[in-house]
Amino acid sequence: MIQDFITIIQDYWLLLLIGQYPNGPLGGLANTLILSALAIALAFPVSILMALARLSKWWFLRWPMTALVYVTRGVPLLMLILWCYFVIPLWTGADVPSFLIMLVTLVIYQGAFLSEVVRAGIVSLGQGQMDAARALGHGYMGAMRFVILPQALYNMIPSMISTFVSTIKDTTLGYVINVPDLTFAASQVNNQLLTQPFQVFLILAVVYYILCWSLTYVANSVERRIARRRAGPRNARLPAEAAPLKTITEQL
Amino acid sequence: MSTSVSEPQAATAIRIADVCKNYGDYQVLKNINAEVARGEVVVICGPSGSGKSTLIRTVNRLEEINGGGISFEGQDIHAPMRASELNKLRSRIGFVFQSFNLFPHLSVVENVSMSPIRVKGVSPATAHDKALKLLDRVGLADKANSYPGQLSGGQQQRVAIARALAMEPPVMLFDEPTSALDPEMVGEVLSVMKSLAAEGMTMLCVTHEMGFARDVADRIWFIDAGEILETAPPEEFFKNPRHPRAQRFLADLRH
Repeated sequence: MIQDFITIIQDYWLLLLIGQYPNGPLGGLANTLILSALAIALAFPVSILMALARLSKWWFLRWPMTALVYVTRGVPLLMLILWCYFVIPLWTGADVPSFLIMLVTLVIYQGAFLSEVVRAGIVSLGQGQMDAARALGHGYMGAMRFVILPQALYNMIPSMISTFVSTIKDTTLGYVINVPDLTFAASQVNNQLLTQPFQVFLILAVVYYILCWSLTYVANSVERRIARRRAGPRNARLPAEAAPLKTITEQL
Repeated sequence: MSTSVSEPQAATAIRIADVCKNYGDYQVLKNINAEVARGEVVVICGPSGSGKSTLIRTVNRLEEINGGGISFEGQDIHAPMRASELNKLRSRIGFVFQSFNLFPHLSVVENVSMSPIRVKGVSPATAHDKALKLLDRVGLADKANSYPGQLSGGQQQRVAIARALAMEPPVMLFDEPTSALDPEMVGEVLSVMKSLAAEGMTMLCVTHEMGFARDVADRIWFIDAGEILETAPPEEFFKNPRHPRAQRFLADLRH
C-alpha cells in the first residue's frame, strides 16, 4: 500500500507539481498556488472596498453593492463559475482563458464573503472610535485608514483566515472549467492509472491539507506576534485569558 | 487671556444661538441660547436625559442640529461646508469622551502623536517630543510605551486629555469625563482638568462632579428637558438657585 503512494509520486511528481509545462500550460500545484495567491491578494482589497461601499452614506454605492453581496452569497460557487464561464465570452466576444475566469469568479465570490467579515469588524468597533477620530479632525477616510481598519482587520484575522483557506479549497472547482490546477493534474494521473483512485486522491487531499494548514499556522503566528507587542514589553507573553484561535478546528 | 486682532470675535469662544434638535417627534434641545467666553470654564449640569451630552456633541458637530446655529470663534460649525473645512474646525476643538475612546491598537505616545502627524502634518519627531511633554504634564510620562489596555480608567482618561491637547485646541469640551471611572480615580482626572482651567483654557464640561463645578467653574448652566433653565456663577447657583427645577435637582444631590 505505502509502496503504491511512493510509486505514484515517483512517476508523476512533475505532472502534479507543474502540469504539462513547458509542453503545455502551467498546471498542477504551481498553478493552484498562483491561483490561490492571486485570488486572496485581490479579494482582500476588493472586500474592503465592498465593505466600505456597503457602509457608505451614499445610496448609489450602498444599494448595488448590497445586492451584489446578497446575490453572490446566495448562489453556489459552482453555478457562479459556470455562469461566468459561459457569459463572459458572450459579453466580451473574446476567448477568455479559463484561469482568468476562475480568478475573477473567486475574487467576486470570496470578496463578497470577506466583505461581510470586514463589515462586521468595522461595525463591531462601535461609534466611539469613529467619533474620537472625527473629533480630532480626521476625515472619514483618514479615520478608516488609521483608526478603524487596523483594528477591524486585526479583530477579524481568524474569520479572514477561514475565508482564505476556503479560497484555496475552492480553487479545486476550477476543474469543471478545465483550469489546469492540482486537482486537474491528479485526475489526469487517475485516468492514466485507472486502478488506484484512492491512493491518487489521498495524495491530493494531503497536499491540500498541508497548504491550508500552513496558511493557518503562519497567520496565527502573525496574530500572536501582534498580541505580544500590544501586551507591552514588560509582560511579553500572550495573556493566558486570550482566546485561542479556532481557525484550524473550524476550517480543516 | 490674549486678544488677537485677527479674530474679530475674540471675546466669545462659542456662541450657541436658538439651537433645536429632535429625534423624530421628541425634542432633545429646545431653543438653546448661550455663550462661552474665552478663558471661561462653563459646567453644564442637570438630570440625566436632559440633553447635556447631546448639547456638547453639537458643539463640534458630532451631532447635527435641526435649527439655529453654533459659532466657534466666529465660524458657523453647522453651516454647509466642505468636509475638509469641518475637519479643520473640529481639530481645533478638543473633545474628551465619557468612555475615553483611546485607540487600543496604538501605544499611549502614538495615541497622542498620531493626529498631529496625520491631520496637521507635524513631523513625527516633533509630534513625538510634544506627546511626551503632554504625557509628562498629565503625569504619565512613564506609560508612553504602554498600550491603553494596560492602563487604569483614570490613566486612560488622562491620556485622552493629552491626546486632545496635542492638537493645541483653544477650546476643550468634556462630556462626563469622570462618569465611567471608579471613585478613587475621579480625583486624578479632575486635578488635570483643574490645572488646565488654571492655565486659562476655555472649557465646556458636562459633569456630575459638583465639587469641581463649585471650585473651578466660572458659570454653571443648568439644563433640564432640553432647555437651559438657569445660568449663574457657582456660588450663586449652589446657594440660591432661582429655578424650582434647579432647587429640586440640588436638593436631590444632597440626599
